[in-house]
Amino acid sequence: MNDGNSGQGEYTGSGKALFWLALRTGCLTLLTLGIYRFWGKTRIRRYIWSAARLEGSRFEYTGTGLEKFLGFLLAVVFLAVYLGLIQILLFWFGMTIFAEPQTSEQALLQTAGFSLSAVALLPFIFFAIYRARRYKMARTRWRGIRFGMDKAAWGYALRALLYWALTLLSLGLLTPLMTFRLEKYMTDRSWFGTARFVQQGRWTALYGCMLQIFIALALLACDGLSIALGKEILAVVLLPVGAVWLVIGVISYRVQSFAYLSRNKVLDGTVAFEAAPRTKTVIGTYVLGALLLGLGISVVTGVFGGIAAFALFGRDFDPTGAGLQPDMIPSVLITAAGYLMTLIAARAGALALITQPILKHYVTTLAVINLTALAEIRQRAADSGADAEGFADALDIGGAI
Amino acid sequence: MQGAAHLYDGRSAARQAVQVALSRERQALIISGDGLEVPLIWPLQDLRELHDHADEDQLILTRHLETGDESLRDPARLVVEDPEMAAWLRRTRPRLARRDLREGTWRRIGLRAGGALAAVLLMIFVILPALAGTLSRLIPVEKEIAFGRGVKAQIERVFGATEAGELDCSAPDGVAALERMVAGLTDGQEIGYPLDVTVIDHQMMNAFAMPGGHIVVMRGLLEGADSPDMVAAVLAHEIGHVVHRDPTRNALRTAGSVGLLGLLFGDFTGGAATVLLAERMISASYSREAEAKADDYAFDMLRSAGLPPSALRDMFERFREEFGDVEGPMAHFASHPRLTDRIAAAGAASSGDSPHRPALSSGEWRALQDICDIHANTRDTD
Repeated sequence: MNDGNSGQGEYTGSGKALFWLALRTGCLTLLTLGIYRFWGKTRIRRYIWSAARLEGSRFEYTGTGLEKFLGFLLAVVFLAVYLGLIQILLFWFGMTIFAEPQTSEQALLQTAGFSLSAVALLPFIFFAIYRARRYKMARTRWRGIRFGMDKAAWGYALRALLYWALTLLSLGLLTPLMTFRLEKYMTDRSWFGTARFVQQGRWTALYGCMLQIFIALALLACDGLSIALGKEILAVVLLPVGAVWLVIGVISYRVQSFAYLSRNKVLDGTVAFEAAPRTKTVIGTYVLGALLLGLGISVVTGVFGGIAAFALFGRDFDPTGAGLQPDMIPSVLITAAGYLMTLIAARAGALALITQPILKHYVTTLAVINLTALAEIRQRAADSGADAEGFADALDIGGAI
Repeated sequence: MQGAAHLYDGRSAARQAVQVALSRERQALIISGDGLEVPLIWPLQDLRELHDHADEDQLILTRHLETGDESLRDPARLVVEDPEMAAWLRRTRPRLARRDLREGTWRRIGLRAGGALAAVLLMIFVILPALAGTLSRLIPVEKEIAFGRGVKAQIERVFGATEAGELDCSAPDGVAALERMVAGLTDGQEIGYPLDVTVIDHQMMNAFAMPGGHIVVMRGLLEGADSPDMVAAVLAHEIGHVVHRDPTRNALRTAGSVGLLGLLFGDFTGGAATVLLAERMISASYSREAEAKADDYAFDMLRSAGLPPSALRDMFERFREEFGDVEGPMAHFASHPRLTDRIAAAGAASSGDSPHRPALSSGEWRALQDICDIHANTRDTD
């Protein structure tokens, strides 16, 4: 493979730099009551994109915080009206139909009725997912050339609803069909400059990626069987093993289906990709990062909590008294500030210790075959980006980056 | 000053090795290379760098240019890896870090922000309250009663009950006295719901109305009141809430605005707290109006039951002794109007009180105050 015409992805981001960037933008977000979050996210993306390198050229993220903020405001107008009406109507229906839960099933139904607003939002959520990906593609460049995606968000929302319904009806057995078709819908509408991506492969091949899930389900089935047969000890052992295996299986499916789908993408009919992420590494990175983060947070909060307690020691107020006493204000403020700072630091830490290392693993295990064909690709027209992820921001989807 | 660099011309995905030199008048960068037919000339004043770049050894330059892009930048990029040249550019060209805004940006921000704010305010203060009022009238009474039972069970759980009715006080004489008091108040009145008044065993000095005619009085209120008339006054106030369907309307309105506010404040750190605070402020301004109306209702009800409206004033004074008044900025967050204002209003309503018989005889009053005793006893012997 190494004939000089293939290139391996590289990732040079440093955890320290990303942590301080995320901490700074997090503090600014707090000080501006949340408004800076659009600029913060943009800056973090610029850093991460520019840390990825292929064949000596770094990627570039060209989005701006301003367009994200304006897009969010636009989405708020639509969603404020829609969400307010849906929520109050659903609550009213919940009240009128399942007024008094007699049994636990009815209580469950009532809760489901109240949370139906999530279902009413589903089309918007899928719409926002496609729009967000289109925006990110439109704001990504490599060697000065724009990526891009066609405008087809409602088509995606419709198909996503359909495939989700199919998957639920088949009790998850048709998950590979959904994963494949939805990814194909997006990939076939993606571009790098004048070159178009095509998703090849077969959806049935994704069943191979589900192997660990099937093993976990078999273990859980054995667990059920051993309860039925009265072998309690076996049942007690099998349950946690099966549950952990199921979590591993789900992660494995996500990693390996990504790898299969990447290996079967073709750009412009000539450029191919090789992807070999390892589930083991992804899970290991996650566990190690979470442990380090937990340790770091407990040490830091311990030290600062101790200092704060010492500083406040000796102030006397009556904790049983009613209302807010003036003497309590410093300690209330310190506690609130400490809580918020811990949250900001935890987010920054998770980004630097978990998200970035996992991303690095994905990038460094990705290779592009037939690099020379890339030089033929020309620039594409700029995409206005429409709401610039405003719907995704308003609906809280999109994850860490 | 000259050195080697790489150029992406913004038209093709080719990477070109180029030579960069300063023009003779030191006003522009001259970029020349094999792939370029004529050298590019980039005026120094137009040069801009890319921010938050992960590689500190690289300086990526572009030009300030009027384009239809997301920012006013030339799609071409010049990658400077020569440390001397990068350092010289950074040192002598402070404009590198400039961010250029398109004309009319502030006007666009103002328009969008104003539109979003107007939509949210219109929803929260006009559309949702109006809708809540309409919907609360459309619920069949029996559904509302059943819903209220659920709410009551939830409130009891907050006060430590593990199952519904566990904290109810049920000494027979006390229950009889309470029933007589309620009957005296509601005699000849159109309530719209079968009233269900219970006393629960908790030391807090308070009473609540819930959807569908459920009213909960806490033991602390019975103990803190100096006379049966004061308890009757609080009951009349809560019955006012019931008649006005305030609890149902409030529940509906909260359901609508909570989702909306969560949307607005997004997932930024501490967002949930802001949502709660904001919702608290809104429901406060809402229920202040409802409280004043319930007070007025109570005065009328007390008068027609032959009781003095001043009893409500006495009860408020007890509350003020117990909790103090909420003053200053905190007053805005409290769900009830300032007690001083309400005492003044109650005083005005009770001018010209005539002599009257108390709401309960002294024997009945003692029985009502002891309504929780039998409950406590049976619980101890269980």
